[in-house]
Amino acid sequence: MQNGKIKPENLLRRSPTNRKLTTGCEILDGCLRGGISCDSLTEIVAESGCGKTQLCLQLSLCTQLPISHGGLNGSSLYLHSEFPFPFRRLHQLSHTFHQSNPSIYANYNDNPCDHVFVQNVHSVDHLFDIMPRIDGFVGNSKTRFPLKLIVLDSVAALFRSEFDNTPSDLKKRSSLFFKISGKLKQLASKFDLAIVITNQVTDLVETSDGLSGLRIGNLRYLYSSGRRVVPSLGLAWANCVNSRFFISRSDGSIVKDRSEKDESCSSSVSRSAKRRLDIVFSPYLPGSSCEFMITREGICAVQA
Amino acid sequence: MEAWRLPLSSSIRGKLISAGYTSLPSISSVSSSDLARDVNITEEEAFEILRLANQSSGSSSCNGSRSLINGAKNAWDMLHEEESLPRITTSCSDLDSILGGGISCRDVTEIGGVPGIGKTQIGIQLSVNVQIPRECGGLGGKAIYIDTEGSFMVERALQIAEACVEDMEEYTGYMHKHFQANQVQMKPKDILENIFYFRVCSYTEQIALVNYLDKFISENKDVKVVIVDSITFHFRQDFDDLVQRTRVLSEMALKFMKLAKKFSLAVVLLNQVTTKYTEGSFQLALALGDSWSHSCTNRVILYWNGDERYAYIDKSPSLPSASASYTVTSRGLRNSSSSSKRVKMM
Repeated sequence: MQNGKIKPENLLRRSPTNRKLTTGCEILDGCLRGGISCDSLTEIVAESGCGKTQLCLQLSLCTQLPISHGGLNGSSLYLHSEFPFPFRRLHQLSHTFHQSNPSIYANYNDNPCDHVFVQNVHSVDHLFDIMPRIDGFVGNSKTRFPLKLIVLDSVAALFRSEFDNTPSDLKKRSSLFFKISGKLKQLASKFDLAIVITNQVTDLVETSDGLSGLRIGNLRYLYSSGRRVVPSLGLAWANCVNSRFFISRSDGSIVKDRSEKDESCSSSVSRSAKRRLDIVFSPYLPGSSCEFMITREGICAVQA
Repeated sequence: MEAWRLPLSSSIRGKLISAGYTSLPSISSVSSSDLARDVNITEEEAFEILRLANQSSGSSSCNGSRSLINGAKNAWDMLHEEESLPRITTSCSDLDSILGGGISCRDVTEIGGVPGIGKTQIGIQLSVNVQIPRECGGLGGKAIYIDTEGSFMVERALQIAEACVEDMEEYTGYMHKHFQANQVQMKPKDILENIFYFRVCSYTEQIALVNYLDKFISENKDVKVVIVDSITFHFRQDFDDLVQRTRVLSEMALKFMKLAKKFSLAVVLLNQVTTKYTEGSFQLALALGDSWSHSCTNRVILYWNGDERYAYIDKSPSLPSASASYTVTSRGLRNSSSSSKRVKMM
């Protein structure tokens, strides 16, 4: 418990408008009114294979764009708790990104991957060990870009096997949610960072109290791959994020062949590749949704 | 007949005593407005009498019971005060009506609900609406917004402020069709400037800030609403000493009540909900409710009913239990469009 030095007057802030980080896709940005907000915790919930990691990788690169292009002129820290980290995909996206934005790297002879810092996190304790180092990293950074984005992919994996379903364990788990969220929000506020956390879903199992199906946000039901799902980590964790976006895919069991030469995002891409992003709740966005696809070049939204 | 001893003109003295105010305690126990009415004198004269009465009762030997009477109010005075207290509109008339006209000043109102139900939206709406000038039926005050979660987005506040200005222009245009608009029109930017925004990142900052509020509001007397969004976020982490946490929360709640009474402003505490294991099953409850459920005057629960948002008066000393639906639009909080059974009495 530090701080005789808290000056309450200093907490008074004329807060400027929150800066946004582009997703790299104009239509998706439109749905999000500019992109992912800084000084805010944004959660992306989806079942495996929907594109959470794709979006996070793309955001990690877009962070390096100049502010005039929707970037944050910064580097990103990618904390991954799921294995393995998709290095090849990052390199692939980085290559495309470099080609599209040569001016950023020309004078320094570096490449986008140099500014994405990847760190694995294997437990909640490990995450708490890392946090103070992030503070030091942002503060004293001698890197070319200041840190502007932190991705945690995923929060659910950190809690997967460590806790039982007993009330006391759930309570312990809950207080850890608030501790993680509190610390990340503190970093976000102090350094004006954008923070993106991914979360998984579980199938909905109706319990007798009916609370597992408790409605949170704009969508009455969350469906993915034809099944009703709920975000992991329950109501407690939902209280810890500022915005929640849900990515789903429709039941696409038909897999059509895609021509390797198909560079455009036209409707000739198979239906099974279509994803949908829904805004579940947000302090400033109306409930809306957007469809997109994952191509070799990255995330690409479909015109409504 | 101590009233004879007061240094007043004989006519006023005569009026006092013929109205029945013969002793000093009887004089000091009424408010100046009632004394003026009763005795048929002006309020300034009544005020002067009270001042003299209190002065002399202070200097003479007073028994303990007199100090109990000084400063006490009778129930009529309190009712009169309560009825004339201004209220802050939520911009949703159905919600206003179950609240007795709006969020009441001098009270601490707790509003809780699940994420995404609209707590922050109500908070922002109130911090804008408190600024509605008196000519338009508002309080013409300023707001303090204590953000503990980072949910306050300036662009959203600006949206709501712009809609408020548009609504006011429509209202004044309608009311003052034949008058020149010589009053200074509020601009959305001004509205944002009048929201004193504090960002709090830990429970220690929160405690320090709450302790500082008295001084801040003393220097900014036109603050008429204090919103805390949310009150419990920083306290839901693991505390080594739970007894201390309860004590800290109760003290904080008490401070808010004192602020509300002292400065005649509204305190709105936004709270989260949690699942509580009671009587063999999990139920929804306001977070950390036990620590301080006694310290809030009113409690409102926000919940989903099908596809509609509803507000329910869970606790109030004067309001009946009722629920009302509301919507969150791009312009802020509004009535929901389905007009049937919007307000339900329980």
